[in-house]
Amino acid sequence: MDTQEKRFRLNVTRRHFLTKAGLGIGSAALGSMLFKDQLLGSTETSAIPLGVAQFAPKAKRIIYLFQNGAPSQLETFDYKPLLTKMHGEELPESIRKGQRLTGMTSNQESFPLVGSAFNFSQYGQSGAWVSELFPNMASIVDEMCIIKSMHTEAINHDPALTFFQTGAQQGNRPSMGAWMSYGLGSENSNLPSYTVLLSRGRGNGQGVYSKLWTNGFLDSVHQGVVFSSGEDPVLYLKNPEGHDKSSRRDMLDQLAQFNAQSFENFGDPEINTRIQQYEMSYRMQSAVPELTDLSKESDNTIKLYGPECLVPGTYAANCLLARKLSESGVRFVQLYHQGWDTHGNLASDMRMQAEDVDRASAGLIKDLKQRGLLDETLVIWGGEFGRTNYCQGKIDSENFGRDHHPKCFSLWMAGGGVKPGTVYGETDEFGYNITKDPVSVNDFHATVLHLMGINHEQLTYKHLGRRYRLTDVAGQIVNGIIA
Amino acid sequence: MSRHLTILSNILIVLQVFLLFMCFVDTTTFPEWLITSGKLHPLFLHLPIALVIFNLPLYYFLKLNSNNLKLEQLYKSSLVYTALLTTLTAIAGLLLSGGGDYDPETIFLHKWFGVGTAVLTHVQIYLFSWVEKRKRVGYAIAISAVLILVTGSHYGGTLTHGDGYLSIEPKEVAGKFPDLNTTTTVFDAAVAPVIATKCLSCHNNNKMKGGLNMSDFQLLQKGGKNGAIFTAGNPDSSIMIERMLLDMDDKKHMPPKGKFQLTENEILLFTKWIETGANATKTYHSLDKSDSLKLMIDEIRKSQTIAKTEKTYAFQAASQSKIDELNTPFRRILPLAYQSPALSVKFYLKEKFSIAMLEECKSISTQVVEINLSNMPVDDKVFALLSKFEHLEKLNLNGSSITGKNLNELVKNKNLQQLSLATTAVDVKVLDGLAKSVVRTVYLWNTKITEQDLANLKKKMPSITWDLGYIPDKNELLKLTPPKPINTDRIILRKEEKIILKHPLPGVQIKYSLDGSKPDSLTGKTYQSPIPTSQITRVIALASNNGWISSDVSDYTFFQEGQKVDSVQLLNLPSEKYRKNGRRSLIDLKKGFPEILNLNWLGYKENTFKTGFYFSNNIEKSKIVVSAADNTDFDIFPPSKIIVKGGDSPNNLKTIGSLVPEMPKGYRSNGVLPYIVPIQRGIYKYIEIEAFNIQSLPSWHFGKGLKGWVFVDEVFFY
Repeated sequence: MDTQEKRFRLNVTRRHFLTKAGLGIGSAALGSMLFKDQLLGSTETSAIPLGVAQFAPKAKRIIYLFQNGAPSQLETFDYKPLLTKMHGEELPESIRKGQRLTGMTSNQESFPLVGSAFNFSQYGQSGAWVSELFPNMASIVDEMCIIKSMHTEAINHDPALTFFQTGAQQGNRPSMGAWMSYGLGSENSNLPSYTVLLSRGRGNGQGVYSKLWTNGFLDSVHQGVVFSSGEDPVLYLKNPEGHDKSSRRDMLDQLAQFNAQSFENFGDPEINTRIQQYEMSYRMQSAVPELTDLSKESDNTIKLYGPECLVPGTYAANCLLARKLSESGVRFVQLYHQGWDTHGNLASDMRMQAEDVDRASAGLIKDLKQRGLLDETLVIWGGEFGRTNYCQGKIDSENFGRDHHPKCFSLWMAGGGVKPGTVYGETDEFGYNITKDPVSVNDFHATVLHLMGINHEQLTYKHLGRRYRLTDVAGQIVNGIIA
Repeated sequence: MSRHLTILSNILIVLQVFLLFMCFVDTTTFPEWLITSGKLHPLFLHLPIALVIFNLPLYYFLKLNSNNLKLEQLYKSSLVYTALLTTLTAIAGLLLSGGGDYDPETIFLHKWFGVGTAVLTHVQIYLFSWVEKRKRVGYAIAISAVLILVTGSHYGGTLTHGDGYLSIEPKEVAGKFPDLNTTTTVFDAAVAPVIATKCLSCHNNNKMKGGLNMSDFQLLQKGGKNGAIFTAGNPDSSIMIERMLLDMDDKKHMPPKGKFQLTENEILLFTKWIETGANATKTYHSLDKSDSLKLMIDEIRKSQTIAKTEKTYAFQAASQSKIDELNTPFRRILPLAYQSPALSVKFYLKEKFSIAMLEECKSISTQVVEINLSNMPVDDKVFALLSKFEHLEKLNLNGSSITGKNLNELVKNKNLQQLSLATTAVDVKVLDGLAKSVVRTVYLWNTKITEQDLANLKKKMPSITWDLGYIPDKNELLKLTPPKPINTDRIILRKEEKIILKHPLPGVQIKYSLDGSKPDSLTGKTYQSPIPTSQITRVIALASNNGWISSDVSDYTFFQEGQKVDSVQLLNLPSEKYRKNGRRSLIDLKKGFPEILNLNWLGYKENTFKTGFYFSNNIEKSKIVVSAADNTDFDIFPPSKIIVKGGDSPNNLKTIGSLVPEMPKGYRSNGVLPYIVPIQRGIYKYIEIEAFNIQSLPSWHFGKGLKGWVFVDEVFFY
């Protein structure tokens, strides 16, 4: 038999093929009819309606002033006179209870307590203690709800930050802002509903990465959009030289036609997303310059936020921009200010950091208030964990520092449905353990979602065969801070 | 059996297998059409009920006339049809169950009783001949089929008609928390409402489980069949508290497993209440402010109200199509919450706005409760239009073009709560128009209103909260930010290029010096026009202005482009980590950033910076500038010595210049420093520069004795 014939015989005939394959294909077909979604991954997403608050929200928008690197609670809001009294004495083991330490102090032979580098006073009707670092924030304590009993699971920056922003330490989940965008939709379709603004202080810095504002497994429209810190916050918005608005319009119309055609041919929904995104960026050409033009700010505004607010890329400028974005309906404006990681040079670094953020943070609250927007905007200020009550480095030197401390730290919120002028939670005299009303990161998320009109247990997304939430399997609403 | 019965029996077997399979998978993932067919369940279900019950007398008649073949035939086919219809009903039921939000416990029972009926009726067919001789067993099976069916149907009825449809018991009512006044007792304020919500359904006037009725205080005091359930003043020996604290799986745990459980706070409330005497007369207001019982009551009352603070609106919702029609990217209409009839309207983009866009909203004027026109070019004509929105609560006109002339129109808005007029041209006169308005809060920041006006307004209209916002403290002086060159990336300039300084705050004066001294804010040279440059230009500048503290100085050193270098030869290799752009980086006219040392920099530690430069031009050179990084924190020190050799070729060199830079006396970080080495004026084809890194860091440094670094980003020849 010659090879050609052999080969021919090896060929499968149509009948042969159908007989052999009939059963298999048939069952596959039946299977795909019956369990389509289990095979293809679910399109079913949330248990609650999307794009609208589930119940009447207390806050419509969030501005999150993230103090990246973790400011020491003992130098800011958690006043512990005992530490000053016991300055230099050893941290009792009965307090530490074998708490896990970072590699930076685990080799340290002793853990001498160190008193706050700054003086504290009480302010406002609430009588909250605030350190001398924050004279401006101190003037608005009656708007603030200070939580002194935050705690987290992570002891290093990256996992702690990721936990705070996404509800998990590993970094594959959608961030808070993405969940908000997914759950509540956009207020202003001319701007992204989740924007990120970055700034860097003069203290010891820690990086921020795009995974902190990721959409995770949610649709990519929910991803945080980073505004760059230069003069042009959004790049490539200007028309190229020699092209005016109408020619841009013509170009987009033509492009949309092509895209619509290819959508007809392929039916890929991403094509429609793309058409919409082109339209949105066209509208952003008008919307963004309106926001970022700082030349018309009144003297009062400049004094309110501090003169740095006119220098793009500074924390103050970002606070001002955050107010404008939020006022224009951006659901979630996320700021990061780097430089709070005070392992050494704590006193001088914190002073520089405070100079950067104090006036602008307080200014933002005052500005929202005087525009009648504070009641619908939730502002959050805080870092990813606290700092140890004992000293890192030599205690007698000027440049002592504090290591990471996950077991208690302070953050504050203001506006949008939180109880103004309150201090929630307590820590022990050593500022090491929480003694009353602990608030976990999950609790914090649950509460923030609640303020935004979402039940944190019901905003879900099905992924890899199970439903995910921002709080995943934890989280209790902290009623004590809700107005 | 006849042929058609055989066919039906076979179908029945297939369906039963499918049914059992369905019991264990998530039916919600089935295709839509299949799930929809589940809606036939309520139709089918009546047939098996009738047939199963009918089979019982039929069996009885068959046994009476045991030789009647026709009757036997009828019974047999009846059994097959019964099983078939029961199975279909059960399948439809399972499909239906996936879609609805049913009580999981009831649905569980209904499901398994329903499936049980289907299976049993099926089994009945095959047992027919087996029970011929066993009459009683036959009855037992038929009767149990009826019983299982009835039980299953009961749970089905519970699902559709709700629990208690058959009973005459009054419906469970959630406890009401009364408003607090001076006579409200502790018992009424929280204890009774919690009991009403969590206990009363089993311990009431009609149903007294364990002989206990908790309807009012006297009955509660009486207790149940085991006597009193609490001992005033002693919660630890009170049965009530004990039962609440028992393990969940304990039979005596109260409320029983499956019922709504007490929260931790509620248990604490009962404990505290008993501890403080459990009396019915103590009033809430008599409690001390920090009394833990009072705090507990507040806590519980608050958790109750949190879910209920949602404001309800009496008006009808607007049609979705109308809302969709009005929604554009520039006019967003959103409900306040899911299924809320109340709408908010917000306008975006000044240039797209026209007053017609607001007029069009009149079709939803009943539903709109919030209007946001901030930064829109609306004038005073808007007020007449706004007054048509009868339920308007919140109005934002911040930054709009109004002057407030017709502000009094807003008196017609009988629900207006909040009015934002910040950054507008309103003056104190027009605000009189609000005298008869119901508005509660008015925001007036950045308007013509003065603090004096504010005092008058407060007197005239005390029911309104006037918010003037932030007023700068005249005594507080703020420090300006330092001036900057217009482009901080352009440090290497062309010969004719000038230095442009700027400051973002209008009206600021920039003072500068070019001689390395700190300019004085009063006597220093004022910047008026771009500064012409020389080869190396160091500009030190500060900003000053009346009413502000002068800024810190900014200090920038600019370089003119030097003579063109033909090629570069690295005679010593830089450290592997710090030579990314290679020898090009020395003459690429790009400065390095002091923070990013692995870009545009060459770093030396093991070797000295020893580099040769070739020239083809015949221009005289008199000066060399080596630009180097300076940051002692990272062991980057100035070169300890710079030696420059020149000649026609590398083989014919003589020393033409050298420099010994000053060493730092302590930690410092100056960014980038230029080292100017004057050389013998002349024409050189080849110049070799060697900059030595410090071999032993000084004693004050934490790395004392170790080698330091030299980092060079650019070399200039003039």
